[in-house]
Amino acid sequence: MSPATITSQLKEKFPEAILDITEFADEKILHIKSQHILLVLTALKSAGYNFLADLTAIDNLTLGGFERFAVSYHLLCHETAERLTVKAYVSEEKPTLPSVESLWKTADWQEREVFDLYGIIFEEHPNLTRIMNPDDYEGYPLRKDYPRLGRKERDDFPVVNRGIRKKKPLE
Amino acid sequence: MNPTEIKSNILTTTLESAINWGRKNSFWPMPFGTACCGIEFMAVLAARTDLARFGAEAIRFSPRQSDLLIVAGRISIKMMPVLIRIYEQMPEPKWVISMGACASSGGVFDTYSVIQGVDQFIPVDVYVPGCPPRPEGVVEGLMKLQDLVGEEKLSDYSPASDK
Repeated sequence: MSPATITSQLKEKFPEAILDITEFADEKILHIKSQHILLVLTALKSAGYNFLADLTAIDNLTLGGFERFAVSYHLLCHETAERLTVKAYVSEEKPTLPSVESLWKTADWQEREVFDLYGIIFEEHPNLTRIMNPDDYEGYPLRKDYPRLGRKERDDFPVVNRGIRKKKPLE
Repeated sequence: MNPTEIKSNILTTTLESAINWGRKNSFWPMPFGTACCGIEFMAVLAARTDLARFGAEAIRFSPRQSDLLIVAGRISIKMMPVLIRIYEQMPEPKWVISMGACASSGGVFDTYSVIQGVDQFIPVDVYVPGCPPRPEGVVEGLMKLQDLVGEEKLSDYSPASDK
């Protein structure tokens, strides 16, 4: 099913879910309200978009958008090699989304990455823990309001001394 | 024994210089390669520059068997506790070469997750600049370290000289 057909079908099926449909570089982008994302993605998967090529997030703090965060799902249909981008918008106050791990297993680690770096909580995810930063890390460093140089986490380690007399530096 | 034989078979020296001579010509390096410097370090060991010429070809991947830590690559906040643990596992005497811009200063990675120079937390003896350094640069760094070890005093290692 071509992206044009599927988007018009979805528009009929879930009129309240779709915020907007845009197009960029000949590829359709669906802008979806967060509470309907699982329904829409389930429909898209059964329509032939069997592969989740990427799952990532965007902080719209300086860009402007429907909400603070957009979680984007990049779908691919292996049969027709057609691509479709779906963006789900979540607010800063309640950054929660249903997990799509039940639809695509690959979403497991990708959702953990988005959680690690943006702090978006994926409900019913089997193991939503940090994937790259240390477990005791505080904050979500890819948010635009996170300081680029961090909050002293890179300066906060014990200093090891040699315990012997300091050598004179070489000339 | 013939006195001329004694002259050609006995060498007098100090214990200190004999020990330093042994130490500086038989480094057992432990490469802590986390990035492209680790790949460049392989070239240092390969035929063209051949670290074996300086007696440092016995690369050990266990800190307990090595006395020279070569930090080759950027160290992230998640890796720094590992590096500290590795350094502490090495038996004395031990030395550290900080290889390349990232290990020495963070390099271009001035972000929240990259340590801005491992010398903030572990003592470094020789810094080798470059991104990554050429093998000749690493060899030069090792020769500098050999000079440094050659000048060490045995009393450097006694706790009494600590004050």
